[in-house]
Amino acid sequence: MPASTAVQPRTPPATGAPPRPAARVLRIGTWVSVPVKPRSVVVGVLIGAGLFVTALLTLTLGDLGVPITRLLIPFGAELGAQEEFVLSRLRGPRLAVTLTAGAGLGIAGALFQTVTRNPLGSPDVIGLAAGASAGAAAFGLMWTGIIPLPAGALVGAVVAMVLVYAGTGQGFSSPARMIIVGIGVNAMALAFVQWIITRTTREQATVIAAYLNGSTASRSWDDARLMGLAMLVLLPCTLALSRRLQIADMGDELADALGAGAVRTKVAAVVVAICSATAAVTVVGPVAFVALMAPQIGRRLTRAPGPNIAVAALTGALILAVADLAVQQGPFGVQLPVGILTAGVGGVYLGYLLMKEWKRISV
Amino acid sequence: MTTSISSATPSPASTEAHGDRGRAARLALGLLLAAAALAVACLASLAIGNKALSLSEVWLALTQPGESYAHVVVDSRIPRTVLGAVAGTSLAVAGVIIQGITRNPLGDPGLLGVNAGASAAIVTGIAFLGVGSASVWAAIPGAFLAVVVVYVLGSGRRGVTPLRLVLAGAVITAVLTAYVQAVALTHPDAFDNYRFWVVGALAGRGFDVVGEVIPFVVAGLGLAILLVPGMNVLALGDDTARALGASTALIRVGGAASATLLSAAATAACGPIAFVGLAVPHMVRPFTGPDHRWLLPYCAMLGPVLLLAADIIGRIVVRPGELMVGIVTAFLGAPILMLSVRRMKGRA
Repeated sequence: MPASTAVQPRTPPATGAPPRPAARVLRIGTWVSVPVKPRSVVVGVLIGAGLFVTALLTLTLGDLGVPITRLLIPFGAELGAQEEFVLSRLRGPRLAVTLTAGAGLGIAGALFQTVTRNPLGSPDVIGLAAGASAGAAAFGLMWTGIIPLPAGALVGAVVAMVLVYAGTGQGFSSPARMIIVGIGVNAMALAFVQWIITRTTREQATVIAAYLNGSTASRSWDDARLMGLAMLVLLPCTLALSRRLQIADMGDELADALGAGAVRTKVAAVVVAICSATAAVTVVGPVAFVALMAPQIGRRLTRAPGPNIAVAALTGALILAVADLAVQQGPFGVQLPVGILTAGVGGVYLGYLLMKEWKRISV
Repeated sequence: MTTSISSATPSPASTEAHGDRGRAARLALGLLLAAAALAVACLASLAIGNKALSLSEVWLALTQPGESYAHVVVDSRIPRTVLGAVAGTSLAVAGVIIQGITRNPLGDPGLLGVNAGASAAIVTGIAFLGVGSASVWAAIPGAFLAVVVVYVLGSGRRGVTPLRLVLAGAVITAVLTAYVQAVALTHPDAFDNYRFWVVGALAGRGFDVVGEVIPFVVAGLGLAILLVPGMNVLALGDDTARALGASTALIRVGGAASATLLSAAATAACGPIAFVGLAVPHMVRPFTGPDHRWLLPYCAMLGPVLLLAADIIGRIVVRPGELMVGIVTAFLGAPILMLSVRRMKGRA
């Protein structure tokens, strides 16, 4: 996974900058099919390289790490029982889940932020993640056995979005209202989760601990497959939308005139974003602020307009992978859920953005 | 008068200058009714619960000494009732003050992260500094820092806007909640007693807690009363207020200090409780108008009514269990937040 993301953007058409625009369209697999600036490609390659290094470190560091020499020799070489176990049970699935979920969150954030035209319109802020944890808590601890935990998270996320949609009185058309109503929905969902926790024993509560703070610990290949499948379905959708979104970004009327169908495009983008975020949240729980940070950082790095979906996805994966590496190997005593780390770091970054860079935007 | 504080509202002083004595009498009567409602809420809080008592039983238990079962039950409910009254007053008045000094209809110590700041400081004290209990002294610096940070983050180039403030509050709350969670996870034993406090609960806290927070509440309320004229002037807008000779900076600092004291005290006593400070002023304002001379006492009376009512609801809905009051207020308050957003029209 990391190797392929690192390789994909490195393709002939984009390295030079031929004069004809048609030559600068990058089409590789399902990742990118947008006009690409050289800078974006360089950034993408660098982030991909960062991902590769982070993935290697994740697999090799620590007591149970697999030595790098054994990891890099071609497949088919024998691995010890312990190394086999670490790779196939512990860190392998965890890494795969981390990378795909991070990418999913990055895509969701990029789509949301483009549609709402607001850097703060992200699934975290409008209560989607909290709704998912409420759903997971309800179906995991209270009404157990009706539907599996991930389905419960999905139900919670959808209910939260319906509440936000109904609560604003204007649907998703007013970002400002969406954010404030989302904060309200967020508060209700968290209160609900807290209530469920207090009425269960501590042992039971640990069952859904991942869904409360967001955690990538002890994930299985099933989780990785679920998330990977979601990405496989959603990436082509995102790809199909990304051109139209870029046009829709120019304003509704112009977009309509250009045949992009502004409203239809936006609704489709919101639906894809919600699916993507919900898939990620279902697998790793409400990991805070990744969806918000990834497109912002990506955009600052590439300095390109538009959704920058590929870079956002790569950045999201990198953020989550680095955070996960930090909680695995960092000096925290116990293994913290990765969501706590991203909430702390992301919150500080968000505060910095609010103070330094968003003085002028009209929130 | 459904409008929130805004420069468009006519000065309350001028309406009274026109000799509207009937209105003042009506408001005074209303205040009496609010006090009566508070008394009823306190009695109901003593009577309703897992073991329900009739009001006459409560009255007997309160007025005559004895060792009956009713006495025991009432005695066990007195601390949480008093605590609810004190915390409700603190939160509602803190809400009025924050809404006043920021001229922002979405002011609430919970929403703006002040309570989260207080609880983060308390958690730090318990885990790292060996503070034995949830002390107000530990809470105050945290709450004050949160007020300052939210205000700095919330003020954009075009001044402080409601959305920015709420957003800054949400950011602060998210970061600090993550911190509290992390500390609680790494020090499980120190926080076993605080599982309920973290959510916001009136139950399980004794009179010693009330005794500890009362001085801070009194100080905060006193400061709030001193600020009433200032906040009325501030409601006219910064420029007008300055032209009238008010020191806007002084009023804001005083208001921040008062709100800090009140919400730190409330948080230390019963954990971070959101939305009381938002909801009560919004419910009261249509009746009193924007004049803080009426707004403040009304909120002081009705804040406890709301909090005690939420506590009573929490005792009833999931019998024989109990819902923590912080959970009930979230469910009562979030819809009010949505309604007030709709009322803001394009101003957000």
